[in-house]
Amino acid sequence: MFFNKHKIENFFKSALIHVFLMIVVVSCLFPIFWMVRSSLMSNATIFVDPSLIPQELHWSNYVVAWTKGNFAVYFLNSMIYTISVVMGIVVVSSLAAFAFSRLKFPGRDFLFYIFVAAMMIPLPGSFVPIFVLMNKLHLVNTRLGYILCMINVGLCLSILLLKTFFDKMPSDLEDSARMDGCNRIQIWWHVALPLAAPALAVIVIYNSLNVWNEYILATLLLSDNNLMPLQRGLMVFNGAYQVDYPVLMAGLTMTAVPIIAIYFLMQKHIVKGLSSGTIGGLYDPA
Amino acid sequence: MKRLGAWLCCALLVVITCGCAQPKKAVNEIELWHWMTDRQDALEALARKYEQETGIRVKLSLFAPSDSYIQKIIAAAQANVLPDIYGILDKKTIFASFIKAGLVADLTSAFEADGNAWGKRFFVKAVDNNRFAVGNMDGVKPGIYGVPLDVSTVQMIYNRNLLKKAGIATVPATFEEFLAAVKALKRVGIVPFVTGFGETWIVDCFASNYAFNIMGEAKVMATFRGEVPYTDPDWMAVFTVFQTLAKKGAFIEGIVTKGNKYAEQDFALERAAFSFDGSWGVNIYKSMNPVLDYGVAPLPALKAANPMRVWGGAGSSLVVNALSPNKDKAVAFLQWITDTPQQAYLSEQTNNLPSNREASVGISPILGDFAKAMEQSTHPRVWILNEDPIVVEAFDKGIQSIIIGEKTPAQVAVEVQKIKLRQMGKVKRP
Repeated sequence: MFFNKHKIENFFKSALIHVFLMIVVVSCLFPIFWMVRSSLMSNATIFVDPSLIPQELHWSNYVVAWTKGNFAVYFLNSMIYTISVVMGIVVVSSLAAFAFSRLKFPGRDFLFYIFVAAMMIPLPGSFVPIFVLMNKLHLVNTRLGYILCMINVGLCLSILLLKTFFDKMPSDLEDSARMDGCNRIQIWWHVALPLAAPALAVIVIYNSLNVWNEYILATLLLSDNNLMPLQRGLMVFNGAYQVDYPVLMAGLTMTAVPIIAIYFLMQKHIVKGLSSGTIGGLYDPA
Repeated sequence: MKRLGAWLCCALLVVITCGCAQPKKAVNEIELWHWMTDRQDALEALARKYEQETGIRVKLSLFAPSDSYIQKIIAAAQANVLPDIYGILDKKTIFASFIKAGLVADLTSAFEADGNAWGKRFFVKAVDNNRFAVGNMDGVKPGIYGVPLDVSTVQMIYNRNLLKKAGIATVPATFEEFLAAVKALKRVGIVPFVTGFGETWIVDCFASNYAFNIMGEAKVMATFRGEVPYTDPDWMAVFTVFQTLAKKGAFIEGIVTKGNKYAEQDFALERAAFSFDGSWGVNIYKSMNPVLDYGVAPLPALKAANPMRVWGGAGSSLVVNALSPNKDKAVAFLQWITDTPQQAYLSEQTNNLPSNREASVGISPILGDFAKAMEQSTHPRVWILNEDPIVVEAFDKGIQSIIIGEKTPAQVAVEVQKIKLRQMGKVKRP
């Protein structure tokens, strides 16, 4: 009797959890499905045809999005920006976080708090100073200027995450490495960075998303169409008065594919990073 | 360590090979920054044609959405790197501050040369939008500072099929007739009216149309000067228009949270019989519902004493950078692009009203109907005086609360007047 009751209880608990998880899955996947479905419709049917699968599939929307949106150029640009910026952020933030955490120098805490305080400044608030500075450095309308600004944008949070992680790293590990003949840079490279892999995965995915979807700073700093990122292509279909929804959705679908691919590639690390508490410190001595 | 070095070298290589130097500007090139995504293709075609005819290349740079464009212009102005031609998408006070900073060329002499040859091409109201009159409140040297590329009017539009279904034979010209039409439409289950009252500028536009009709322009301006209170019976009548329409069930559900884009979708998909929209909507209706049968008319008048004015003339305008070494070339290009053949082409390709009067001869009938109201149009940019923005905000939000039944016209009138008095205490108006 007890066994049956227990079994029934477990069944209902499990069913409840599964129903909840199904709702979460559907609520996450449905917008993506709707985007793909809308990308295959026409302007005339997109708001009147409520069917999940359109009767007539307009694959030509993808061709229009790719050609009219000049996606080939923008895709390449976004790849360059994302790779360069993420690499820059990983290198600079891990070095800075390691220094803030493991080195002792005057004004260390003050400098760190300045970095953290920079997170409080909204990006639009710094538009004019950034533009004026970049102009003085002759970096307006250059890839390098945009890459440097985007690295700067991503540094604060990445340094905060990695410093919290490095703070929890036992000093014994550092001492052992030093006894083995490692200098500080080698400790950072051979000891600290491998241990920080889950945190780095979170930083990579977060910043990749950030750079891939960024447009406002690009609009501000870049004027040449050939330097613009992918989001610029999407704006062509999102006019001030008129929005070409099916083609916009086709463009969005194409834009989303690489970032979904990055997520799948790094999924294992991200889940590990998040589940072991990136913000609270990832290091697990075991 | 070696691998790290290799990665860093690769990153450096990527950056260097991608190019870091700012592109140099060619001698025979002028640069134009704009925000008009829907006009980019047509403008590019015209720029190519211009290069073929004159050998001068016009480099077009599109920055959208318009919010990003505004940020870009402000930042570029502060860094003194504005292009030869650009647009100022902001209030006239911001336009004035650009002029006072010496960033906008005075085009009056170009407009008036050869017996006003260039100026005569345009709708008068289109030029007025870019003119600072003698004694203007912004303290700008009187003159014409912008070139209208196209124009627009904001009016009532109606769906002929839905009116027919409700047995409405003629388009309502008076407020009483409009209320009767609302009743008839509701009887057959058709939503009478949709517009983007979620955007306060539309509330302001709709209300000012009625204010001009009920009390006339002089009294509206007297109110702005603080000589007539918002508690005046005429202003109460303006507020009551919204209350009456709301009480009669004229508005689509959720009208005060509806953006204009969504209101345009509703009208295009025949979800409402009437709308209040600009001439730019023609393009939207054409793409969303090519068979939509609709017409355009001014809002139904409440009083016969004053004409029902419509907002218009304020389309897209471009200015010339006063500091540009290519000022003359920029003016020559703007003269060329506002000439009749180019304006006709722009209008045909983009379904916008041309700013050139002669080019409006061959436009589509519906655009022609929108254009008819141009000469009788008005706009805050051409008024001798504008209301304080804080008062305008309270006015528009007050009307939104009347529509949802949160406040009465009397309450809103008192509140707006209170804010008006407070603002007048802060700023001395001319």
